[in-house]
This record gives sequence, structure tokens and C-alpha cells, in this order.
Amino acid sequence: MASSRDDFIIAIRSAFLKRSTQQKFSLLTLVFVSMFVILLSSLDFKVIRYIKIGINEVVYRSSFIVSIPENFLINSFIGISDYSTFYDDFKKNKDELNKLRSKNILSEITQNENKELKELINDYVSTSDKLLAKIIVDHKSPFLKSIIINKGSKDNIEIGTSIYDQSYLVGRVIEVNFKTSRVLLLSDLNSNVPVTIAPQNIQAIVTGSGDNDGEIKYIKGGFNNNFTKESIVYTSGTGAIFKSGVPIGILKISENASKSDLNVQFYSDFSQLKYVFAEIVSRSEIKSSNDNQTSNSTIEAKIKILENEKEIIEDSNTKFKEENDYLKTQVNDLNDQILNLNNQASKQNEKIDQFDIDKEELEYLRLNLVYSRKCQTKKLFSKGYKIGTPEYKKCILNKGKKINE
Amino acid sequence: MNSLRSKGFFFKLYSWLPLIILLISVLNEFDLNYLNLNYFSFNFPFILIFFFTLKEFKHFDYLFVFIAGLFNDTVIGLPLGISSLSYMIICIATSYFRNITIRPDPIKDWFYFLFIISLINSLNYSVLTLFFSFNLVLMNYLIDTFFTFLFYIIFVSIFKYYLRSLND
Repeated sequence: MASSRDDFIIAIRSAFLKRSTQQKFSLLTLVFVSMFVILLSSLDFKVIRYIKIGINEVVYRSSFIVSIPENFLINSFIGISDYSTFYDDFKKNKDELNKLRSKNILSEITQNENKELKELINDYVSTSDKLLAKIIVDHKSPFLKSIIINKGSKDNIEIGTSIYDQSYLVGRVIEVNFKTSRVLLLSDLNSNVPVTIAPQNIQAIVTGSGDNDGEIKYIKGGFNNNFTKESIVYTSGTGAIFKSGVPIGILKISENASKSDLNVQFYSDFSQLKYVFAEIVSRSEIKSSNDNQTSNSTIEAKIKILENEKEIIEDSNTKFKEENDYLKTQVNDLNDQILNLNNQASKQNEKIDQFDIDKEELEYLRLNLVYSRKCQTKKLFSKGYKIGTPEYKKCILNKGKKINE
Repeated sequence: MNSLRSKGFFFKLYSWLPLIILLISVLNEFDLNYLNLNYFSFNFPFILIFFFTLKEFKHFDYLFVFIAGLFNDTVIGLPLGISSLSYMIICIATSYFRNITIRPDPIKDWFYFLFIISLINSLNYSVLTLFFSFNLVLMNYLIDTFFTFLFYIIFVSIFKYYLRSLND
């Protein structure tokens, strides 16, 4: 018993401490170093932060380079599969583009109005620039849903910066290095976004499911049956973590046997992201109205907004004019068509009349063959009529009955 | 192989291949996650480190494995040191297993590997949830452990072929 325990201790000691000729450090040393690194990484010291940023920069770039062949293969595969649905997608996109173009002008006007109203409510003017960023690392880990972008503190990216795919929210920055940043996607389990569900106007929190969708949690007032499958989910702006009114996805209601689950299907497909937009928000306070300079700048800002609005109205007017011209041309064409149709109708009426006359004449001739004897004048004591007179015709049409009979 | 041996650089590159693959796999997360298959993932570095440290491969430096762990943490976004600790535990386990084994048996190795990766994944899950307040799905860890265990036997046959070609 004692010897087997000794053997175990010897084997363990040997495993921890024995170094072969090739090894520079014993395993025990490296285990302690690992633990020390874990401890340091949990503490937010300035020096450690800078070292971490340095390591991140090098590793992210290396990872990007190493991933090039694999990404090339994946992209080629996606490209080939895209070609098969290319024509259908093109037709669908063309229709959608036409619809969106018509909506765009109205949307711009609403945006301007919205901006103006927000300025009146808040005491600051918020301007935002969207910065295009390339995704350099996206390994689709099943444990953590995050991506690395090629913009960092050098480009004014901060922790909490919102990241978009077109105009849809994708996530927010959780780690900033000098030229790279890590973005936590909305689908991650650690992501929580305050949202509004429209048109019911219900406040809730969306958390990532760890897959490719989100789950609705913490609904104010509890779950109810008012939701429809077409409900839209967008950021509410509560807590000032995300800007309000940014679309996220649509509601998906899955009926389980026990309860109904509310999921969010994101508008953006996180597995297909290549480029994203980082929103750099700068806020400038509006000072009191006594200050002339500030009031001037406010007036200038308002004038600028009005000018923008005017420009948009002019654009919409031009579009309406074009539409008007187009409609006029269509009206003229339709009038021509109506005229042609009227002509055709009158010709057909004439034909019908002629047909009626012909029909009557034919009937007269047929009856004439039968009743001409009865109706025409004979030599002695007859009461007939002279052929060709209206009385003769009337007699024939009355099938031989004379007027006096 | 003799022809490779004659070409010094290529032979050196070939003999360092496991380390190169380890570096690529930690930087590139070689685990077929891009296939987007539900309930599928495996940890390739675990298999690689377990096999080559068990076979006491001469170029497999513990320090390099430790650094690879740091790289892995950076790429995945885990707190620094977690993967290094996991890799070091594998190294200790294989070293201990080597010491107590007189006659190596692949099936024993395989089940010992299952025990070790289960231990490591449990440790990772506990540390991340308890000390770093990460929200993680336990099922993902179980699936990862299961597929890593399954893939071990496939990769081991390839690695054995590599070792044989190196010794020839």
C-alpha cells in the first residue's frame, strides 16, 4: 500500500518537475505562470492593459494572415453557391430597390424632423460619423460570439461604440486596441440590449441565445398574447447604451407545449459579415440662449437643417413633377384609346342597324312570296293594293290581312 | 524521407510540423465552426498537444505550448492564461501517464484523453462562470468534449503515420 502511494507521488513529482533536455521550463513553473497571468488579466492595471493591447495587435494581425487561405476557400464556396441563385436575387433586389427609393425621400424628411425634435428635447447636438471597418477575425466560436475589426483607438473607437451592418445593429465594442477592436455580437449570451417591440410599443431586453438569434427577456408587465409574428424589434435607447430607433430584427413566436417563446430573428446575418460600420458619436452641449455666439451657432444649425429640408423638398418636388409628366402622358394615351374605342363602337352600331334593316327586308320578301296573291290588285271585283305602295307592304307584313278587315 | 533529409531546410520544416500546425490551429481556430453545423465543434489543439506530449516529441516545447495558449485566448476572447493553463494540465497529465505506463495501449490512451479533456473543460467552465461571470452554455462544452474524443482516434492515426515517416 505504502509503496503504491510512493510510486504515485514519484510519478506526480516527476510529471511536474522533471525537465527533459529539450525543455527550458518545468511544467510546475508554467502552471504557476498561467495562474499568475489569469490573476493579472482579471485585474485592470494600466501596464497590463498596455501589454494586453500589444499582444492583441500582434495576434489579431497574425490570425488574419493565417486565416487567409481558409477564408479564401470559404468565400469561394459561398461565391459559387451564390451564383446559382444570382438571377432570382437580382430580380428580387430590383423590385425591393424601386420600393425603397420611393420610401427614401420620406424617410430623409422624417429623419431631419426627428433630429430637430431631439435637439429641442436634449440639451446637446449629437452628430455621428459612420466609419467603415473590415472584419479581420471571425472564427464563429460556439462559446463566444465576437468579431475583430480593423479600427481601434486610433480611429476614435471606444468601448461601447455601436457597430452596424448597413443600418442594422450588429453589436458593440467591448475591447479596444490601437488599431483593432473586439465586437460582441448581439447573438452572444453576454449581450443585453434594451428594445422596443412595435407596433405594441412594449419595452423589453433582448439577450443573445448563443446561436444566430436572440431571446426576448424581462418584458415590462410580463409576457402576453398581444405579439404578432410581424412585430419589429428596435433599440429603445434606455440606459443610453445604444442609440434609440435602430432596427434589430423581427419577432419570432415559437409555440412550445409548455409555454410560448419569443425569439428575435436578426435582420443581419452575422455569419456573412465582411464589412461593418462603427458609429463615432460626438456630442456638443448647447449653452444658454444669453450667449450670442451660441445662439448664432444654434440659428446657423437650424438654418442648415432648414436648407437641408428645402433641398429634400426640392428633390421630392422634382420627383413629383417627373411623376406628374409621366401621368399626363399616360392620360393622353388613355384618351386616344377611348377615342379609338368609340369609333369602333359607332361602326359596330351601324353594322347592327344595317343588319336589322336587312333582316326586316328579308322577312318582307319571304312573306311576299306567300301572301302577294292576297294583297295585290286583280282585274275583277278585287280589293287588293297596287304593288310597291305602303298599304301593300303593310298587308304583306300582316300576312295577307287587309286594312279594312 | 531520405530525399527530404538531404534537403536540410525542408526536413527541418517537416520535423517542426506539429508546432506549426499548433500555431495555425490556435490562430485560425481550426475546428470547422464555419460549417455552421448545430451541435458540432471540437478542440484540435487538445488532440495535438495530448498526442505529441504523450509521445514525448522532441520539438514539442512546453514554453511554446504555453505561448500558443496565450494566442488562443487572445483570438477567442477569453481571459489571458485560461488556455495556457488547460494546455499545461494536458502536458502534466501526459507526463504522469507516461511515467506510470509500461506497455502503451491506444484504447487506454483514448479513454485517458476523454478523462483529461472532461476535467479541463469542467475547469474552464467553472473558472469562466464563477470568476469571470461569463454566460456559457454547458451543452456546448459537452458536445465539444464528445467530438474531440471521437476525432482523437482519427487524428492519432494520421500523427502516427507522420511519426513513422519522420523516423524512417
